[in-house]
Amino acid sequence: MNTLFSVVFFLSCAVLLVLDPEGFLPAVLSGAGNAATLCLSLLASYAAWMGVMRLWEDSGVTRGVSKLLRPVVGRLFKVEQEETKRAIAMNLSANLLGVGGAATPYGIKAANLIEGEKNADYASSMLFVLSATSLQLIPTSVVAMRVSLGSACPSDVILPTLLATVLSTLLGAVFVRLFIPKGEKSAKKQASRSPFYQKKQGAGIE
Amino acid sequence: MNAAVMRIFASIIPVIFLLSFAFAAVKKVKVYDSFTEGVKGAIPLVCSIFPYIAAVMMLAKVFEASGLEDRLVTLLSPLFHRLGLPTEIAELVLIKPLSGSGSTAVLADIVTQYGVDSYIGRCACVVYGASETVFYIGAVYFADRKKKRLTAALVISLFVYFLSVVFCCLLCRVI
Repeated sequence: MNTLFSVVFFLSCAVLLVLDPEGFLPAVLSGAGNAATLCLSLLASYAAWMGVMRLWEDSGVTRGVSKLLRPVVGRLFKVEQEETKRAIAMNLSANLLGVGGAATPYGIKAANLIEGEKNADYASSMLFVLSATSLQLIPTSVVAMRVSLGSACPSDVILPTLLATVLSTLLGAVFVRLFIPKGEKSAKKQASRSPFYQKKQGAGIE
Repeated sequence: MNAAVMRIFASIIPVIFLLSFAFAAVKKVKVYDSFTEGVKGAIPLVCSIFPYIAAVMMLAKVFEASGLEDRLVTLLSPLFHRLGLPTEIAELVLIKPLSGSGSTAVLADIVTQYGVDSYIGRCACVVYGASETVFYIGAVYFADRKKKRLTAALVISLFVYFLSVVFCCLLCRVI
């Protein structure tokens, strides 16, 4: 990521310097502005979903779902701690339902918890790839857009979308299996967790 | 029939909320206390991912403004053609892993220009629906993790994404 970021940024800056030096700052600022807008809408969506997520924790839904998915999660991610499995299980189910607002907080939590696991490299790669190729049962926003544009059959994209994501999820999992070693990289325990996460442990998305 | 389908989709989220509240109440959870406690976590979460989102989005804008993106699209068009993909969706394919809002705009352009029910329009819809903003996920989920060892995962994700784009267009031709 560091290399990619540096190279693309450097090249883009260099080209802009030659072609359009005045366009540089507006471009950077509009990017940052987009990020600010996005974060504000993310805040709104996280606020709504994390409230419900807390209800799931307190009423035992999380425990139930993770019990249901435990065999799959254990085999796929090779993680051992109960809490990690739980976060991963919830992330997967939220992704499946197409509830991005709830999937991301669980995903972040899982990514942080995975740091303390034995197979951290393998498990975090699996988490990344499965989220990046996530199964999409119903592409709600696309169907809505097709309806609004007066498509004759807005729902005819659902089947291809589902099939394509099934394929990409399977391929992704297989590739991670094949190419990421399930190494014994020693567990970096609590110490390496971010200060953010530690702060949150008491009152956050547990 | 379409209206009915849309209604079902639209009902999913309210139903989830309704069931969650009802179940919590049955389980004698203090719903209000618990809900607000959860909401509290949203602010530190957003703060922790903001720097990474900002960096990726600034990169995306500068990349676009420099014209390098257009150059890349032109460069990739022959490859797309050979793989049987409509070259009109090249820009969408490039921008989708980088930016959600950017790709929504591109998708809207494509479907209004070529028609929602055209082959190109359907390809664009399926590609959009079947993929995630890979860089955003990497930046957000692994905000303060070491990114280096995720390079392999990033490469895998992007490769699988590209394969699925090819597959999408194939499916659109058949179905």
